[in-house]
Amino acid sequence: MISAHGLSRSFDGRPAVEALTFHVPEGKLFALLGPNGAGKTTTVRMLLGLIGPTSGSAIVAGHVIGSDARASRAVRAACGLLTEAPGFYDRLSGWDNLFFFGRLYGMPDPLIRTRLTHYLRLMDLWDRRGEPVGGYSKGMKQRLAIIRALFHDPKVVFFDEPTSGLDPEAALAVRELILQLKSGGRTIVVCTHNLDEAERLADLVGILKGRLLACDTLERLRAGAGDGARVHVAVRAGAAQHARLLEGQPFAPHVEVTGETLRITVGDAAADVPRVVAALVRGGAEILEVRPETPSLESIYLHTLRGDH
Amino acid sequence: MRVLLLFLQKELKAIRTDSRVWPVYLVFPVLAIGLPTFLATLAPLVIRQAMAKQDAGMMQIAHLVQIMPDFAGVSPEEGMTRYLLRSVAVLFLLMPVALSSTSAAFSIVGEKQQRTLEPILATPITDRQFLLGKLLAAGAPTVAMTWATALVAITLVDITTHGRYAAALLPDRFWALGIGALAPLLATAVVLVTMRFSAKATDPQATVQATALAIIPGFLILIGLFGKVLTTSFTALWIACLVLAVIDLALFRSDVRTFRREEILTRWK
Repeated sequence: MISAHGLSRSFDGRPAVEALTFHVPEGKLFALLGPNGAGKTTTVRMLLGLIGPTSGSAIVAGHVIGSDARASRAVRAACGLLTEAPGFYDRLSGWDNLFFFGRLYGMPDPLIRTRLTHYLRLMDLWDRRGEPVGGYSKGMKQRLAIIRALFHDPKVVFFDEPTSGLDPEAALAVRELILQLKSGGRTIVVCTHNLDEAERLADLVGILKGRLLACDTLERLRAGAGDGARVHVAVRAGAAQHARLLEGQPFAPHVEVTGETLRITVGDAAADVPRVVAALVRGGAEILEVRPETPSLESIYLHTLRGDH
Repeated sequence: MRVLLLFLQKELKAIRTDSRVWPVYLVFPVLAIGLPTFLATLAPLVIRQAMAKQDAGMMQIAHLVQIMPDFAGVSPEEGMTRYLLRSVAVLFLLMPVALSSTSAAFSIVGEKQQRTLEPILATPITDRQFLLGKLLAAGAPTVAMTWATALVAITLVDITTHGRYAAALLPDRFWALGIGALAPLLATAVVLVTMRFSAKATDPQATVQATALAIIPGFLILIGLFGKVLTTSFTALWIACLVLAVIDLALFRSDVRTFRREEILTRWK
């Protein structure tokens, strides 16, 4: 659904993003992570055809971006955008604001009414629909902006910080909505600083800092993170003694002991963890639990960014 | 066409709900209705007194009226009244220029400030549709208001002077063409020039002030230069309309050509 090949963009000779190559299949959610100024917004704008690439190309919803004005319009019609700052006409009501944008998307009025009724109820804004947006809270504006990004039924949706400014309950509702959209077959790109959110939602994760430092499924990023996998082994007693048994073993190059738990670094989890367990059992350890340590997205993210320095 | 009217509908809703702009939309109509009505009512008295005093300005107008074929069959007093009324039609040119320039100054920089520009540009709307929509939104309400005000002024002038002259004083053909065609064409030119500034601006208030400083004096200079010929020669008025139509077309094409979505999106912080 989205394919970028060597997508680059410079401003006044300074590269904002360089040689982005990635593919987001239909119905998948791609979380684009990166620090401020990493080029996330520039990437989204290029993919939407709002700004042209300096070099490279991309196909979004079947249209080659920047090839001509007609293709750019087709891309924009097929996509929805939630901008980082949800801008609205403060003096107009929520309903009137959305109606205006629905017409800009070329939707017929009866369809706009039907969709607005559905989404305003879903986002808990139905009772406030007639009030000027100037009186809305930040969270309400954010929910209204999410409706604006969705209610023309786009194939691809770009969310820039979708839960920014929302209380935990509203943020949860938005995350559930995003998952619903994904299960409905929409392709979604989420730019976020919220790594926990990305971890919960994403099928694919891209870490961007001018260049795409990493781009893969979360599982693969985890597998490739750091200098080996870690496993926690809880024993009934004598953890320090059992740790000494593992010293010098090639399948357990590093062992730490905390209470009655051994934290063991292994090279290849699938091959080495059974060897570790076998060695401990042979040494008389009574094993209570073997738990692989899953690196968080935060640790992968920080590791990737620091590795770039 | 539906897309173009959208911006106009939104603008009208915004004006309706913004009580701060109502005084601005009331001052000009009150002046434009009041002045010709006052003039038509009191002109005979004022003209008689001024002529008796051999007032230089009034003598000049009297001389001008005497040689104008338009007023050949009427009394000097009626001719001068008609000419004075024709001259105050300039208010109906100033009204759409002043009001629409303020709306136009906000048109694009206002969208930037409200952060609505990117969501608009992310829709399938074309640059031409966007600019035409903005042109209509800035120009149409003020032109409509000008026409409505002119109708009220004409009615009041004719009611207050009913029976005094052989025929109704207004509308004369200069009013019809000037207010009917020249006013919207002039407003269009002003809106298109102002919109170009607005697209490049970062501060709405500064744009409004800069526009007011440039447009109003510019308008007064133009009236000073061409006012006499435009109130005495109907052909000159036609030519002015045609020239402005050509200028408007050229300005619109130029606005579309120089409208840079990328620049607006990436330079604005």
